[in-house]
Amino acid sequence: MKPAPTLSSAFLHPAGQSLPQPLLALRKQRAAALLGMPLPTRKTENWKYSARHLKLADDMAISLPAEGKTGTSLAVPGYKVVFLNGVMLPEASEFPDLDGITITSFSDLDEQEARELAGRLDHTLTPQSVQLAQLNSARFEDGLLIRLQPDAVLDQPLYIIHEVNADASGSAFPRIFVDAGRHSRLTLVEEFISSGSNGQAQVLVNAVTEFCLDEGAHLTSIRLDMEGDSIQHIGATGVRQQRNSRFESHCVGFGGALRRHDLQVRLEGEGAECKLNGVVVAQGAQHYDNHTNIEHVVGHCNSEETYRNIAADQAHVVFNGRIHIHPDAQKSNAEMNNKNLLLSNGAEIDTKPELEIYADDVKCAHGATIGQLDKTSVFYLVSRGIGRREAHVLLTMAFINELVAQIPVPAVRETAQTRLNQFFEATFQEA
Amino acid sequence: MATTDNEVKELIKREYEHGFVTEIEADTFEPGLNEDVIRRLSEVKREPEFMLEWRLKAYRRWLEMDEPDWAHVHFPKVDYNAISYYSAPKKREDMPQSLDEVDPELLRTYEKLGIPLHERAKLAGVAVDAVFDSVSVATTFKEQLAEAGVIFCPISEAVQKYPELVQKYLGSVVPPSDNYFAALNSAVFSDGSFVYIPKGVRCPLELSTYFRINAANTGQFERTLIIADEGSYVSYLEGCTAPMRDENQLHAAVVELVALDDAQIKYSTVQNWYPGDEEGKGGIYNFVTKRGACIGKNSKISWTQVETGSAITWKYPSCVLRGDNSVGEFYSVALTHNYQQADTGTKMIHLGKNTKSTIISKGISAGRSSNAYRGLVKFGPGAEGARNFTQCDSLLIGDRCGAHTFPYIESRNKSAIVEHEATTSKVSDEQLFLCRQRGIDPEQAVSMIVNGFCKEVFKELPMEFAVEAGKLLEVSLEGSVG
Repeated sequence: MKPAPTLSSAFLHPAGQSLPQPLLALRKQRAAALLGMPLPTRKTENWKYSARHLKLADDMAISLPAEGKTGTSLAVPGYKVVFLNGVMLPEASEFPDLDGITITSFSDLDEQEARELAGRLDHTLTPQSVQLAQLNSARFEDGLLIRLQPDAVLDQPLYIIHEVNADASGSAFPRIFVDAGRHSRLTLVEEFISSGSNGQAQVLVNAVTEFCLDEGAHLTSIRLDMEGDSIQHIGATGVRQQRNSRFESHCVGFGGALRRHDLQVRLEGEGAECKLNGVVVAQGAQHYDNHTNIEHVVGHCNSEETYRNIAADQAHVVFNGRIHIHPDAQKSNAEMNNKNLLLSNGAEIDTKPELEIYADDVKCAHGATIGQLDKTSVFYLVSRGIGRREAHVLLTMAFINELVAQIPVPAVRETAQTRLNQFFEATFQEA
Repeated sequence: MATTDNEVKELIKREYEHGFVTEIEADTFEPGLNEDVIRRLSEVKREPEFMLEWRLKAYRRWLEMDEPDWAHVHFPKVDYNAISYYSAPKKREDMPQSLDEVDPELLRTYEKLGIPLHERAKLAGVAVDAVFDSVSVATTFKEQLAEAGVIFCPISEAVQKYPELVQKYLGSVVPPSDNYFAALNSAVFSDGSFVYIPKGVRCPLELSTYFRINAANTGQFERTLIIADEGSYVSYLEGCTAPMRDENQLHAAVVELVALDDAQIKYSTVQNWYPGDEEGKGGIYNFVTKRGACIGKNSKISWTQVETGSAITWKYPSCVLRGDNSVGEFYSVALTHNYQQADTGTKMIHLGKNTKSTIISKGISAGRSSNAYRGLVKFGPGAEGARNFTQCDSLLIGDRCGAHTFPYIESRNKSAIVEHEATTSKVSDEQLFLCRQRGIDPEQAVSMIVNGFCKEVFKELPMEFAVEAGKLLEVSLEGSVG
C-alpha cells in the first residue's frame, strides 16, 4: 500500500513576524504539531466526499503579500473591517467608537493581552475533526480580537470583509476571535470575496473564526462565501456558549474549486440555544462541503439546524450534520433538517445527518431529503401562464428563500437574494 | 411496590435461559490459522480443487487487510490464531441417514431449545437444516422439497453435488475481498446452507436453519447462499441461540442472496446469541456480512431482523438493486441491554431504473448499552425514478445508554427521491402513566410500549417468528425498568 500523502512542509513556514511574542510562539508550536500530518483521502471519514477536490500544490504555500489595494468599494451602513490576504487594512476600515467594545488587530496587542489570547485560541474547535483548518493557527499573520464588555451592545452590524487577491498563487489565513461578555449583543457579518484572477493562480484561503459567548450573550453571525471559482477555501467556525446565551448563524455559500466549512458549536451552559441556517448553491464543476457539529454538553439546551443545498450541472455538494448529546445532558432538544435539490444528472449530493445520543430524556429528530422540483408545482405555475424557465427559478428561489429571508440584516439579505437570483437565472437558461 | 421491586430483582438475576453446554466429543482442529489449516479443512470436507484455490486466494487477500475500526463499538482485539477453525460432531465419518441415527444427546439439545426437528418439524411445517457447530447433522423434508425441485442442503454438500452453481454464484454478491471478515469467512467457512429455487417455483415450505454455537473456542464461519431463479419465491428463516460462555466467541458469517428476473426472496432473522452477563463479560462477537443482489428485473429482496443477542453486533444486510423495477426492503428491530453494543443497519444501492427501497429501523437501548444505526442509500447515475424511504427511530430506556444514527445518503440522479427521518426519545412518561393508572405494572407497561414501537417490523415477520420475537423482547428487557 502507498503511504498516504502528507502535508508538504512548505505549508508550515509562516510569514509576518510583526505579531507579539506569545502568538509567534503559539504558531511555532502548532506548526510543529502539524509536521507530517497525513492529508485527507477518500478513506478519511470527514473528508470522504471532498478529498478528491483538495489540491494543495507547493506553490500555494507562500503567503499572499499583505499589501495592495482592495478591489472592493463596499458601501455598507455599519462598521467595517477589511482584511486583504489575511491581514487587516486599517485605512480601509471603520471602527465603532463605543464604550465597552474594543476591536484590536493581533499585531497591536500588548504582551499580556497576547498571552491571554494565545491561551484561548483554538479552544472552540475539536482538533481531530478540523485537521486542515488547524493550519490557520500555524500560519496566521494577523487577526482581529473583538471584545465586548458585559452589557455592551453594538448598535449596527459589524462587517468583516475578507478579500483575497487571486492574481498570483498563494494562501491567506484570516483569523477572528470574538469574546462576548455577559448579556452583550453583536451582529457580525463576514463576507469572503476575491478580486483579480488570472485563472492560472491557485489560491488557498484558510479562515478560522471563534466565538465565546458568556452568560446571556446574543450573537448573530452571518457568513457569505462568494469567492471566485478558482479559490480553495477551508474554513472553520467554533462557538462556545455559556448559560442562557444565544447564537444564530446564517451561512450562504456559493461553490468553488473547493469549499469546506466546519461549524462547531458547544452548548456548555444550561438554557443556551443555537440556530444554524445554511444555504449552498453550486453549478458547473463546483464543490461545497458543510460539516456542522453541535455538542449538547449540558442539559436544558436547544439547537435547531436547517440546511438547504442545490447542485446543478456537475456540481458536488456535501452536508454532514452531527448532533452529540453528552451523558446527563437531559432535557435537550435538538432538531436538524437538511433538504437538497439535485438539478442535473451529472451533479452529486451526499448528506449524512448524524445523531449521537447518550442521555434518555431528550427530544432529537433529524430529517433529510434529496429530490428535484415537484412536477405538480411546476405545472401549477405553468398552467397560470408563467414560463417554464421562470417557474423553475421561482420555485428554486422559494426553496432557499425560506432561510435567506431570515437573515436579520436587510442589506445583506438583499445582496444574498440578488446573487442567488442571478445564479438561478443562469442555471435555468436552457430549461 | 415492594413486590414489584422484588420481582424485578428476581428477573434481573435470571440467567440466560439457553445457557448450557452439551457434552459431545468434538473432532476439533488445534487453534491457529495458516495455509495448512485451510488445506486440511478443505481436505476434511472433501472439496473439489476450485474450492481450495478460492479459499487460499481469500486467505492471502485477508492477510493484506486491516481489521476495520470505524464501527461505533469497542472490544478487545480478536486473536485469530487462538481460534480453532474446525469442529465437527464425532460421527462425521458416517453421516446419519435418518433422525434415529442422530446422537440422542444432540436431539435433546435441540429439544431444550425448542427446535421442531423431530416430528414437530412436520407439524410446524418447517424444514430444518440444523447446524450444530460446523457440520449439518440432520436435514429433513428433503423429499418434499426435492419434489418441487428445490435444493436445500448444507453448502459443503452443494460444493460436491452442484459445483457449477456454487462456482457461478459463490462470492458473486460478497466477493472475498469485500471486507476483512468476508475474506476471513471465505478462507475458512465451515458450513452453512445452500438453497436453489428453480424457475417459476414457489417454495412450498418456509426454509429454516437454526444455528447453534457449541464447543468453546470454535469460531463459527457460516456461509449461506440462496439463489432464486426467474419467477421463483422463497422465504428463509434464520434463528440462533448459544450456550453461556465466558470467552468471547467470534462469529463471522456471510450470507449471499441472488434474485433473478421476477424472483422474490424473504429473509428473516431472529438473533439471540449469548449477550454477555450483567458486567458485560463474555458474549458473542457477531460480525456478519449479508447482502442480496437483485440482478433481475422486477426482483425483490426483503430483510427482516430482530437482533437481541450478541455482545457486539456488526451487521448490515444490504440490497444491490441492479435490475430495473427491483425492490429492496429492510425491517429491523435491534435491542441492546447491559453492556451490549450494536452497530447495524443496511445499504440500499440503487443502480437500475425505478428501483425502490424501504428502510424501517427500530433501535432500543437499555442499561449501559450502545445501539447505532448505520445505513447507506445510494443512487447511481442510472437510477432513473428511483425511490427510497427511510425511517429510523430509537428508544432509550435508562440514562446510561446510547443511541446513534449514522445515515449516509448519496445521490447522483436528479429524478431519484430519498426521504430520511429519524427520531430519538425515551418511553414517554405519559404513556407509562396511562398504563399504570389502568393497573398494569411498570415492567409489563414498558414491554407493551416497546412492542408497539416495534410493531411495524414485527408484522413483516412470519407468524411463528413474530410470536417468538415478541417474547424475546420481553425477556431481553427484563430488569431494565424498576
